Amino acid sequence: MPVLHRNMDHTESLSKIPAGMRYYFGLEARLRRTVEETGMSIFDGWSYEEITTPTVDYYSLFEHGMGKSEAHRAFRFTDTDGRLLALRPDVTSATARAAATLFAERERPLRLCYAAPVFRQQPESHAEWRRESTQIGCELIGANTRVADLEVLVIASEFLRRLDLDGTYAITLNDVGIFKGVAESLRLEATSREEMRQLIDVRNAADLERFLTRYTSTGKAQAFAQLMQLSGKRESLDLARAVISNEQSLAALDRLESLWSVIESLDLTSCFEIDLGDVARLDYYTGLTFKIYVKGAGYRVGSGGRYDGLTASFGKAEPAVGFVLDLDALTELVHRRAALESSTLASQTRLQESTARDREEQQPENSSRDRSELFIEALKRRAKGDRVSLKLGR
Amino acid sequence: MPDLTIAVAKGRLQDEALALLAAAGAGVSSQDLSSRRLALEDESGRYRFIFVKPADVPVYVEHGIADCGVVGRDVLLESGTDLLQPLTLEIGRCRIVVAGRTGTSLSELGMLRVATKYPQIAAAHFGARGRPVEIIELSGSVELAPGLDLADCIVDLVQSGRTLRENGLEEVEVISESTGRLVVNRASYQLKAKAIADLIDALSHEIS
Repeated sequence: MPVLHRNMDHTESLSKIPAGMRYYFGLEARLRRTVEETGMSIFDGWSYEEITTPTVDYYSLFEHGMGKSEAHRAFRFTDTDGRLLALRPDVTSATARAAATLFAERERPLRLCYAAPVFRQQPESHAEWRRESTQIGCELIGANTRVADLEVLVIASEFLRRLDLDGTYAITLNDVGIFKGVAESLRLEATSREEMRQLIDVRNAADLERFLTRYTSTGKAQAFAQLMQLSGKRESLDLARAVISNEQSLAALDRLESLWSVIESLDLTSCFEIDLGDVARLDYYTGLTFKIYVKGAGYRVGSGGRYDGLTASFGKAEPAVGFVLDLDALTELVHRRAALESSTLASQTRLQESTARDREEQQPENSSRDRSELFIEALKRRAKGDRVSLKLGR
Repeated sequence: MPDLTIAVAKGRLQDEALALLAAAGAGVSSQDLSSRRLALEDESGRYRFIFVKPADVPVYVEHGIADCGVVGRDVLLESGTDLLQPLTLEIGRCRIVVAGRTGTSLSELGMLRVATKYPQIAAAHFGARGRPVEIIELSGSVELAPGLDLADCIVDLVQSGRTLRENGLEEVEVISESTGRLVVNRASYQLKAKAIADLIDALSHEIS
């Protein structure tokens, strides 16, 4: 429905900011930088190399990299030769292409990380109002081992703990092989498969059960519907084994179980959950998937998983696993906590600021004073690391 | 601090929703109910209720301000939400229909003018059939539009059909059934798993 704007005077269009865009300044801008640096230093600590991908790239890259429906959310425009370009809606696509081309000859595994703005025209929910958001994430390419899966999970939880979010976050784990195996064993064609996926995705157990009774016994349908409804710890896997018998799903359950055993031995079970009902983006992921939730954020703050099919689109098939966190959502959380004075991260950022301010000295008006002397003094203080603020005449 | 905040759609669904919640152990005292406060706690102190316009229920729940909500499926279809919908509540049953002036045919019109409070549902319905339509968005008294020749037909919610008949309209086609749904925020579902599972159990026990 087109909205008519009559009498819109030109000053309004100059002061107006496009929907989904914003400014950062003051404490929030500094916190955002701190969060970014915290993340990047953790990636560096795990030997991840920073990569910066092009802000503008071919739209077809993202169609291959993210799938059509996700890529469709990008801002698009045309190049001088008529080819379709996009403002990058993700970083993973270009990273996968680089792995298959630029880094084709490099020793594996490749460990790459980034913090970069991404742009999406179409929001996914009411809560996702930003059209520019910053993804901070990593990709581990060329290793298909449980250790690789664990490595990125451990990095994600180290990041959240360093942001003082311990005890308030949950990382939910699933493996897409479980759903895919069940769909195959029921011999579902594409539309029924999607219908089942959607029923699981919105946790509609009653309708899922009704749907399944077309294909299997009432008892099995009921047990499977309940299984998809709730997340839990190790017992979810035992329950799943009692209901599911196809090979592909069982292999996926074994993979999850071996991950879970290590999570147990690292004493991290309080912040991890097994959520067999997480069936988003099944065609993108090939194994482990996970979502990251933090108290105080109404929407997930991160997601990741294994996507062994991705780099094949760019000519070199190899396993890959990674995740992204939403830097802006994390900043908002830390900033809100800063307002409540409960975050040490925020108070450190504030402390640095206030001690810097204490040392700063107001310079007198420089009208009568030799300007070079003013700068000699200022540079001397700068060399000591002090913060200076020159007082300027108007 | 209550365990869960539940957004309840004001109006059509409200009384039935509160009765069902009360039966499931989340009841508001009659004294509180008669007040005009828009945020109330239940008698156990476990739940906080907020009363908002139906279209605002998905907004509150998607932002996680409310963990759950009770709202009609019509609202969810119209706003295209990203929410969990674990339960279909057998309350507020109605139909979303296309209705036109009694005795007139819509099939011969080259371009259909459709008056509605549900522009997305109407556009999706006629779009799927390849029918060119002009959607005229109204915020109420939609049944007037065909009689006054603002539109050829309407897309609206119908419970008994009485309002249609009294305004000289008849049902042409049912687009969808609609009943109340329990909706849940995706983050709350994980972070307040126990409290939400308890509520779902209690409600589904009441329904069956």
